[in-house]
Amino acid sequence: MYRPPIRSTAALTTSLVLLAGLVACSSAPSSSAGAPAGSGQVTLTVGDRPSSSDPANRASFDKKVADFQKANPDIKLNPVETIWDATTFQAQAAGGQLPAVLNVPFTEPQGMIARKQVADLTKVLKDDGLLDELNPNVLKIAQDQSGNVFAVPTAAYSIGLIYNRDLFKKAGLDPDKPPATWDEVRAAAKTITQKTGQAGYAQMTTNNTGGWMFTTQTYAFGGSIENEDGSKATFDDAPSKAALQLLHDMKWTDKSMGQAVLYDMDGISKAFAAGKIGMYMAAPDQYRTLVQTNGLKSSAFGIGPMPQQGGDHGTLSGGSVQIVSPNATDAEKAAAIKWIKFCYLNKYVNQDAAVTSAKNGVAAKLPVGTPGLPVVNADQWSTYQGWIKPYVNVPLENFAPYTKVAADQKIIPEPPVKAQEVYAALDPVVQAVLGNPKADIPALLTTAAGTVNAKLGR
Amino acid sequence: MLFALPVLLVFLVFSWGPIVKGLVMSVQQTNLIDPVKWVGLENFRYVLSDPAVGQASLNTLWFTLLALLFGFPVPVLLAMFLSELRGRSWFYSMLAYLPVITPPVVAILLWRFFYDPSPSGMFNTILGHVGLGPYLWLDSPSSAMPSIVLEATWAGAGNAVIIYLAALTSVRPDLYEAAELDGAGVVRRVWHVMLPHLRSVLLLMLLLQVIGTMQLFTEPLLFTGGGPQGSTMTILLLIYNYAFVNGDYGAATALSVLLALALAVLSAVFQLATRGWSTE
Repeated sequence: MYRPPIRSTAALTTSLVLLAGLVACSSAPSSSAGAPAGSGQVTLTVGDRPSSSDPANRASFDKKVADFQKANPDIKLNPVETIWDATTFQAQAAGGQLPAVLNVPFTEPQGMIARKQVADLTKVLKDDGLLDELNPNVLKIAQDQSGNVFAVPTAAYSIGLIYNRDLFKKAGLDPDKPPATWDEVRAAAKTITQKTGQAGYAQMTTNNTGGWMFTTQTYAFGGSIENEDGSKATFDDAPSKAALQLLHDMKWTDKSMGQAVLYDMDGISKAFAAGKIGMYMAAPDQYRTLVQTNGLKSSAFGIGPMPQQGGDHGTLSGGSVQIVSPNATDAEKAAAIKWIKFCYLNKYVNQDAAVTSAKNGVAAKLPVGTPGLPVVNADQWSTYQGWIKPYVNVPLENFAPYTKVAADQKIIPEPPVKAQEVYAALDPVVQAVLGNPKADIPALLTTAAGTVNAKLGR
Repeated sequence: MLFALPVLLVFLVFSWGPIVKGLVMSVQQTNLIDPVKWVGLENFRYVLSDPAVGQASLNTLWFTLLALLFGFPVPVLLAMFLSELRGRSWFYSMLAYLPVITPPVVAILLWRFFYDPSPSGMFNTILGHVGLGPYLWLDSPSSAMPSIVLEATWAGAGNAVIIYLAALTSVRPDLYEAAELDGAGVVRRVWHVMLPHLRSVLLLMLLLQVIGTMQLFTEPLLFTGGGPQGSTMTILLLIYNYAFVNGDYGAATALSVLLALALAVLSAVFQLATRGWSTE
């Protein structure tokens, strides 16, 4: 219980030091994407270079850098290993140390736009012509309310229902027909628990994943989280109540959700890969984490579309976008777009690039051809699928229930304002429903809505 | 003076500078890129009206209290026990100190595994043999905090044991002998010889522990993320969330300033109240 004196005395001010120390050097922000004045040359620091522990990907990334510089002699790239991380991002933004181009997950752009931590790319994207090639549905993730674009989506998924095919078989369920409605989810979960003794269904609950998954579920029940301009919470209504009531009944009436309440992304992947969970909500890119990191048999992996309730409402999306440093000049922004196209999007429009990228993936034993949502328009997407077909190394038939439906399923973006703070306020609601059989669902939602409204007003 | 300069500089740049900067940021609104906006006490108003702050304060006090009741006496008793063992005490001191060497993240991930709430979880299996449980451990709002106290006591006791042991070795052996000749048993030796010698160390450790435990952070971050239902959300974790999840540095520094003030007041009161105790 005792903490070492040196830490304790220093820790008296830890919180201050921690915060202010990071920004102490921010008084003179220097653009990391600085170009030498006068010359036509642009130097661009680009993030996401794979580390030396991942030699195959690193080599393929470095080759892309070299090829790009050959094709664009007026642009010099400075690749760095910086990756997006919630904690370091803020410090890097403060210190002017952000790479000019960085890959971030779908959950982030809206917050960054609101905090003005990303560059507005609308003009350069229009000038480049790339704007017309992107899938407009997916692009919404990176737009503010007046339609300005702040990031380029380069990979997209919609959240679906991941399930364990082996547990489905053991429970006598058809592994090729995952539940399509939440009533069917409930029934399947009950069967799995009765026949196998494992949790039929589980859901993430901690570190804002609780609110994130609750949002997905509310969407599937036909509800919403915020009103259109993000000024008011709207989840204190029937669809959200129905979603929570269903969780409550699965946990306490059917007892099909196991004992554990606290799951984050990592925890639930481990438990699922260990065969302790029948179904949970996640995107198809979880295949890599489940199979490669946590050792799930690839034949046991199954994914279906997001189950719906009372109509076809839609699901939340996930994926990655490329952002450009807010300090970038117009010339740097234009160069950044060229690089993003070359590095991340070329494979969708150029057969050689598609084949090389797929071959590299196979050589590095990475999943190639994991189904997702098209980031480019539909025709281009299917052409691309044809190019990489011989190299696909994931069991596409296990993704079939998802792919058949996902392309047409409506995708709904995250709450437009302060999504992470809203998720934080909703975590305890989901935890209460799963932790307390007598949880008062309407009261929980009303309280959370009050908290969220106070945050939206700030 | 010249020799003190490097130290002063280091303190200035890495300690006092950030403290002042933190104070300044608590009255600003900033995204760390655009020019700052001066907002006066708005951040403090916002923080004090956030219901999470009230709950986090109560949780933090609850942890401090539990840690004081259960975590504080354990190392004292262990140290006394070890000092009674003549001969192989180095071996037991080492055993007591081992958890301190384990990196906190590793220890916490290990304990999270022990705390598996299913009947097949490790602690539940062991307790099941004697007919207890299964318990929910971290997954229930009422037992989550005590579970964290248990792990934190295990992880932190070693340090305190070493310090108490050092204090006890300064006790002159003839005092024990005199006590034994006078027919004093173990309990009376502890009460009349050991405790008086430990008094000033105990008081200092008590203050340090209160300050330390009020800043509980790593355990809730890694064990529970503040859950279930906010029952392990501590002030420091909330500050972290304000800053690094929400990007709201004004609110984060404002709450930091409030915490520092509270701890300063607490330390001052403690010093005044115990002024007479530590001197013989």
